[in-house]
Amino acid sequence: MFERINIENLPKGNILAFGEFYRNELNNSSLEILSPLKEVAQALNKKLILLFLIGSLEDIKNLEEIKKSLADEVWFVVNNELKDLKDDLYTEVLAQIVKSSQPYGLFFPATKIGMSLAPRVAGALKVGLCAHVNYLKVKDNQIIMSRPTYGENIIAKLVSKSSPVMATISLGAFNIKYGEREPLMKEIIFPENFSWSSKLKIRNFIPSKKKLTKLSTAKIVVSGGRGLKNKETFQKLFELAEILGAEVGATRPVCYEGWVEEERMIGVSGVTVKPKIYIGFGISGALQHTVGMENSEFIIAVNTDKDAPLVKMANLALIGDARKILELLLKKLKS
Amino acid sequence: MEKIIVCIKGVPEPGSVKVDPETHALKRESMELILNPNDRPALEMAVRLKNDYNIELVAISMGPPNVIPLLKHAYALGVDQMILLSDRAFAGSDTLATSYVLAEAIKKLSPFSLVLMGLKSIDGETAQVPPETASLLDIPSLTNVKSLFMKDNKWIAIREIEYGEEEVEVEGPLVCSVSPTAFEYIRPPSLKRLLEVKNKEPIVWQAGDLNLDSQKLGLKGSPTQVVEVIEKKIETKGIILEGETEELVEKLIEVLKEKALIKN
Repeated sequence: MFERINIENLPKGNILAFGEFYRNELNNSSLEILSPLKEVAQALNKKLILLFLIGSLEDIKNLEEIKKSLADEVWFVVNNELKDLKDDLYTEVLAQIVKSSQPYGLFFPATKIGMSLAPRVAGALKVGLCAHVNYLKVKDNQIIMSRPTYGENIIAKLVSKSSPVMATISLGAFNIKYGEREPLMKEIIFPENFSWSSKLKIRNFIPSKKKLTKLSTAKIVVSGGRGLKNKETFQKLFELAEILGAEVGATRPVCYEGWVEEERMIGVSGVTVKPKIYIGFGISGALQHTVGMENSEFIIAVNTDKDAPLVKMANLALIGDARKILELLLKKLKS
Repeated sequence: MEKIIVCIKGVPEPGSVKVDPETHALKRESMELILNPNDRPALEMAVRLKNDYNIELVAISMGPPNVIPLLKHAYALGVDQMILLSDRAFAGSDTLATSYVLAEAIKKLSPFSLVLMGLKSIDGETAQVPPETASLLDIPSLTNVKSLFMKDNKWIAIREIEYGEEEVEVEGPLVCSVSPTAFEYIRPPSLKRLLEVKNKEPIVWQAGDLNLDSQKLGLKGSPTQVVEVIEKKIETKGIILEGETEELVEKLIEVLKEKALIKN
């Protein structure tokens, strides 16, 4: 079906992106990360390669999506042992590919799986790994990556002195774009003596009952922070979201307080949103949060503090008690 | 079964953050440090396993001497031995350099059956150190683990991924990062052990005690480097309205109608 290529003959020096494939389904985050990586690859005059580890070629449900992607080439490693996510085996396979193809960069989406695998691979290769990158650019032939730092209102630009350059890329930070040409498809053939063994055995899988949140692609986002004072008030955001056809987002502190699940965290270590309308209730706007929503088209802030960063960023800011405003708003909308 | 090791981290009390203006690394030695909140479930899981299997539990923390109270807190929860990994040379370590130090300390504690860590620290938030340490030790790792027990000499873990939960069987030893929501109840420290630990001090291991390669430590041993920082300046760009709740809500409804989010 695809061109078969021995691992030792892989083209060298390219940009590799890990394609997340779980139980026959492609995770869209793998297509998102191709958008910034394509620009990086072009600036460095390198090819962009999307890499999949899968159990069998018949398993690919999303082949059409993959064919439309920005990748110049798509590489598949196919082995029945790769059907389940086995962190140690996956690491070994990825490390072998890196050793043979000496890529310039290797990138993962910052999904739970990406964040489990990337550090193992970085450890195996003894190279640096940047986390939750939401910006990548090439300057003086070097990849510059950035993320906000903790406790300061600054963005740090980072480089990696080791090779390949490695990073996990923030979810939702980039839009999926499609390529002009169908990528070349290749199946990588591993040596006969490669061991496909793992110390992990997946015994059972219980699918999540919750639907994955559609936060990163939501057109309208209503988001809450500490200014809502308690979990009960925060939960009212779901009523508002229902009325407005919105998704609910949150700041880091309220996720840590347990007011809402971490999947709804907007910001550096959470999701990046780009809705048409973003409404923040009781959110002052720490950089940790604002990097995840600053590209919203129209921002409404509801906060007591006139000098809060989110109030300044907003197209419309209402200075008042977020809790009272939310409650009265709901009352009026329902009547 | 051999001993269990739990790694904990001191993170700045929110609001007390001090940053080195040149390197932009946190100045942990001059800050009030609290136990990383995500390490609490890791400690809880460690203490439960220790009690279930009646086995030695060792806590390690890498950091300046002001993390000692956190190790003592771990002791009061049920940890048997406290180890502080502390050396000026460790300052500014990125995740690879940190994982290197932890992995070497864990090797020195061999044999062991399990290493537990919190999912991620609330300061760095990378979540990289647990799998990276496991990789350097060349043993398996699982992240976001919500339950763990031993059966027929193998670990059985439930890990969370975006799509659901997987039950995984692992031939140990193993490194796990524990899900922040693994436990509804987290025990408080025991009063008896709090008194007991007053007269105890952790064992301190420096770079020399672990025969570490100085080229792999601290800021200069870290492959990821900050090259530039940009201050985010925010300028007021929109309309700021003050007034009574009633007025503000009316305005909000007006805008929502304008944007066609609600009908007239």
